[in-house]
Amino acid sequence: MLKEKCIKSKIWISFIALLVAMPIFVVAFSWAMPEHELWAHFSENILSGLISSTLVLLLGVGVGVMLLGTVLAYLVVMVEFPGGKWLEWALFLPFAIPAYVLAFVYLGVFDYSGYAQVWMREALDLPGFDVRAGSWAIILTFVLVFYPYVYMMTRASFKRQKLNMIEAGRLLGASPLRVFFQVSLPLARPAVAAGVLVTLMETLADFGVVSLFNYDTFTTAIYSAWGDFRSIEVAAQLASLLVLVAFLLIYFEKKSRGQAKYYSSDVTNKKPYQATGLTAWLISLFVFGVFMLSFAMPMLQLVIWGWSSVADEWSAKYFDLIASTSILTISAALITVMLATFLALPSQCKKASIWLKSVIRLATLGYALPGSVMAVGLLYGINQISIINIHFGGESINHIIYGSITLLLFAYVSRFMAIAYSSIEASAQQIKPVFTQSARLLGASRLRLIWQVYLPMMTPGILAGGLLVAVDVMKELPATYLLRPFGWDTLAIQTYELSAEGLYERAAVPALIMVVFGALLMAVFQYLDKKSSRTS
Amino acid sequence: MDMKKIISSTIVFSVLTVSSITAVQATYSSPEVQAVSDETVTVYSSRKEHLIKPLFEAFTKDTGIKVEYLTGKGGALIERLKLEGDNTQADMFMTVDAGNLWYAGSQDLFQSVQTETIKSNIPVHLRDPKGLWTGLSVRARTIVYSTDRVKEQDLSTYANLATDQWKDRLCLRTSKKVYSKSLVASMIYNQGEDKTGDIISGWVNNLSATPNAKDSHVMNSILAGQCDVGIVNTYYFGRLIAKTPDSPLKLFWANQDTTGVHVNVSGAGVTKHASNKEGAVQLLEWLSSAKAQVIYGSLNKEYPANQKVASDDVVSEWGSFKQDEMNLSQAGLLQARAVRLMQIKGYR
Repeated sequence: MLKEKCIKSKIWISFIALLVAMPIFVVAFSWAMPEHELWAHFSENILSGLISSTLVLLLGVGVGVMLLGTVLAYLVVMVEFPGGKWLEWALFLPFAIPAYVLAFVYLGVFDYSGYAQVWMREALDLPGFDVRAGSWAIILTFVLVFYPYVYMMTRASFKRQKLNMIEAGRLLGASPLRVFFQVSLPLARPAVAAGVLVTLMETLADFGVVSLFNYDTFTTAIYSAWGDFRSIEVAAQLASLLVLVAFLLIYFEKKSRGQAKYYSSDVTNKKPYQATGLTAWLISLFVFGVFMLSFAMPMLQLVIWGWSSVADEWSAKYFDLIASTSILTISAALITVMLATFLALPSQCKKASIWLKSVIRLATLGYALPGSVMAVGLLYGINQISIINIHFGGESINHIIYGSITLLLFAYVSRFMAIAYSSIEASAQQIKPVFTQSARLLGASRLRLIWQVYLPMMTPGILAGGLLVAVDVMKELPATYLLRPFGWDTLAIQTYELSAEGLYERAAVPALIMVVFGALLMAVFQYLDKKSSRTS
Repeated sequence: MDMKKIISSTIVFSVLTVSSITAVQATYSSPEVQAVSDETVTVYSSRKEHLIKPLFEAFTKDTGIKVEYLTGKGGALIERLKLEGDNTQADMFMTVDAGNLWYAGSQDLFQSVQTETIKSNIPVHLRDPKGLWTGLSVRARTIVYSTDRVKEQDLSTYANLATDQWKDRLCLRTSKKVYSKSLVASMIYNQGEDKTGDIISGWVNNLSATPNAKDSHVMNSILAGQCDVGIVNTYYFGRLIAKTPDSPLKLFWANQDTTGVHVNVSGAGVTKHASNKEGAVQLLEWLSSAKAQVIYGSLNKEYPANQKVASDDVVSEWGSFKQDEMNLSQAGLLQARAVRLMQIKGYR
């Protein structure tokens, strides 16, 4: 009985997971077309340098977001300090700014010709320096862009421990630091690891920030193979190595992970520790400083730029840009969440099947692929399906798929499945087998079980996953740029086109609209998070 | 059985979502759909929207033919064109850099267009020998220097910037940008790979900053005193001067006693599978006409490809110069070797 049912669910889960993972397969199949000459040049001349600079970047960014995200989350959840309440939410806001926008703002301010350095040289008589030399500046930029991932997940984890913490602290009389290292941190470790993992995958796939800093990473080689040597095959082969790295990262993270969640279930607003006097103000200053640097300062710069150019830049076109951005964002988030929920539903069949676990894992690997590699992978995949179809007497599907938003939505789903899935799966893990068993004993059908037990319990994870995907889709550039049909320009594209020409003042206008859009989404998240913590 | 219900309801829901999205898309893009008729030319362009829109609007006004366009990155659009094959909507592909044009030609994406109008408007070294693509605007890549810290008589050639007198005084744009690639390709064509390799090593040795992402950053660095001299496309200089006319920066025409200033083009070709070939040819001819060439020049401070048209006033002030007349398809042919050389020599 169970076996017969499992065949059906196996087929369906496999079908959806493998479809989502299609770009991964296309990329992997590139090894069928070896190209020795270019590989010889790469491995002889640039690969070793690229690998070490990529490792330095990953290490720096990983450690950086781990420290910053964890410390911020701990302070905000556990310690009462001036401004803590609104900073807890304000620290999410950098999510709304695309990484490359933050990078061009930082360079505009801190590069040799940026006014921070000009002021340092003129007013303080300090020597100027090349901020892009070495790797510290780009590491810092990535840390400020991506810390919210760690912050978000770790914060939720700390919140769930809080009550016990108060108890434990009170009973044992342990110092706050000791409690942090011996209780809080070990408990939050899975959440921290999950946040760092997402950050590392984003960093691996980034092209915008690294090209503004002219910092060479593994992705540089992918683009060089494609753009300079016109070898899409070697580009795909290199990209498949990225996927492999991502796979290993996920594997190790999975081993160390329990249930990382993006959302909290906070029962009380009381915090275990009260900071007083100077300590309180120093903590305030630190947290506020991070907020300033990662959000307020770049926003201020964007507003100044945008203000000076809004008259030139604003036109009726913006209604179209906003409309297409919204439609893509919302529909991609809906579809991704629906599929992720389907894949994450607790089931006996899944538990017993290594095959199912593996195909689902595959479906989440697209996150490590640079957006344009994913896009080209999809184009190739569809083309292959057409070729096979024609071979068997059918017709090419290219003309239906190319130039419609189907392909673009497909790309978003493949790329951001990891985010939605990990959030939703974490909430599914919360559902204890005893729920299922008792429901079954009471004679509930599986459909009823899902509607009345599983879905309500998974709701916080579904909402959090959906919103994160929405923010990411809104910011997404490379896949959108390549796959969009006529008339589907988005705010991210407008921002990129203007900033690529060095027209930062005008680029600030669409960038600001995007930030407002993202901030609205984050506000929705905040509202739902609060609501769900009240009800659970 | 239950699983089946769930699955079928999921499918129904997905189908509903997708179809409602498609419906929204259809309503949303209906003006464009209506516009697709014989009287529309569809263009894929890696030139940014704000640089092509005024041109297309003027064309529509003159001829009544509408132009629909999609912008994107050169390499990515080429890939899209390749995969779309004869299903493509594009009648014309427009891009910057001769290397990109050459590559699109080598991938069999263009058809030959050699009308008398184009032949008489555009000089031969700015066109593909087989007529696959036509250069439409000329960008000169030359030396820019600080008038405060550099004497004009110290400047001469691109190669000269590799000598010791420029140690820690040079800023360059990243080697990953097509303009750097085509410049080095032209140097390989003129002087051979060994000599070019030595020049690149000299440049790298003279750099006072990590190569910049953009030409505008190169000039900002010179203004801020991080370096004294650099190599840029002239229109970036034009934009800077338009904003801050008093900047202590000047252009120097490189290689005047030797091969001439390296020039590159932005250009276009009619796609092999164009459904409106006539309209596309008409657009191409119109873009090479005096009227369009004036708009090109004033929009982006580039040089007209049509030699009968005078440069924009601002551009004329920079003086006239001798161009490197290497046929630009060579830049395309040699680009991969140029990149390999720059990667070997550590020019980032």
